[in-house]
Amino acid sequence: MDENEVAIKKFQKELNSGIASLVLLGVLANSKEPLYGYQIARQIGAGKVEGLSMKQGALYPVLRSLEKSNLLESYVEPSVSAPPRRYYRITLTGSEAFKQWRTTWEQTRDFVDATLKGMEQ
Amino acid sequence: MSQTIEEYLATLKELMKNCDAAIQRDALADAEEHLRSAMEGEDPSRLETVMEEYGSPEEIAAAYEIMEEKTTPGIASSRLKKDRNWLARFFGIYADSRAWGAVLYMLISIVTGTVYFSWAVTGISLSVSMIIMIFGIPLAALIFVSFRGLALLEGRIVEALLGVRMPRRPVFTRKDVTWQQKLKSIFGSKVTWFSLLYLLLDFPLGILYFCLTVTFFALGLGLIAIPVVQYFFHIPMIDWNGHAVYLATWTYLLILLAGFLVLTANMHLAKGLGWLQGKLARGLLVVD
Repeated sequence: MDENEVAIKKFQKELNSGIASLVLLGVLANSKEPLYGYQIARQIGAGKVEGLSMKQGALYPVLRSLEKSNLLESYVEPSVSAPPRRYYRITLTGSEAFKQWRTTWEQTRDFVDATLKGMEQ
Repeated sequence: MSQTIEEYLATLKELMKNCDAAIQRDALADAEEHLRSAMEGEDPSRLETVMEEYGSPEEIAAAYEIMEEKTTPGIASSRLKKDRNWLARFFGIYADSRAWGAVLYMLISIVTGTVYFSWAVTGISLSVSMIIMIFGIPLAALIFVSFRGLALLEGRIVEALLGVRMPRRPVFTRKDVTWQQKLKSIFGSKVTWFSLLYLLLDFPLGILYFCLTVTFFALGLGLIAIPVVQYFFHIPMIDWNGHAVYLATWTYLLILLAGFLVLTANMHLAKGLGWLQGKLARGLLVVD
């Protein structure tokens, strides 16, 4: 891995830490029914090149920490052929937080876009 | 690169051996849930891709370590400053959520302890007496699994009230193995026997906790009640050989203070016992 690649990885990691929470909250806010980890990972296409550049496995600790902050709640349900699955759904606090986070994200995105565009000219 | 899910989990476990045992168990449960869900009905050759997408054991171990640094366990996290004088520390216990959690735990442990003990003793006698029959062994296995279930439930109570990080998921037993292996994983596992031991121990401990807490609460409240009852209702609290003894008015304040001290000390006692109980729960219920 050359130096350039390390720098890209590091930048991506720093970007991901907040975005993962936002995206996970978003997926669960839009979902009518509770989802388990693998379903969520498939929906956002994590682990693939075109998706969130983050390993699927790294989503699980984020889900747990969102649950600890009371933004999500979960329950375990047994399944026939696999281990019991933990289903997550968004809480009322979580929906409120998601609305605010979304605004923050849009402002940040517009600001970054505007700044970067301004530099090109 | 791991060839099977078991190998992957073993590598992850090895990498996380220095982590908190409860986090390690969470990470393993998450990984196993994901990998097995992803491989459901898939060709075994896809396993490599699935693992690649999930992330290498190194990446996963790192992700859990970062997350755990950011979060504190349970609702009962103590945020009291340490640098206050002893008086503030002593009476500041009333603002300590962990102490209140411990008091609640002391009070309910007599109920949970009794339920656990009754279930454990009934379960064991039932298992032993039925073992001569053909369905005796599966029945015993079922009963022993229920001990682990109860232990998990107790872990949730302990984490919520005593603020000790406990496992959040049951230990997974594989479905695609033979009956003998399943039975071995139930009866040969430390988890089962330690859970059982905890369930049995919780009964005498629960009684002790309940009695101590209620006794000191009653004593403290009783002391506080003496001046009130005597002053407002003129009922003597002390009876000496049939003679009512009224306490002098100047002692009221001292008695009130003594009552308050007993109540406060009781909070500290509950917190201390809660700490010990947390140690016991971690020792017996968080095992590999």
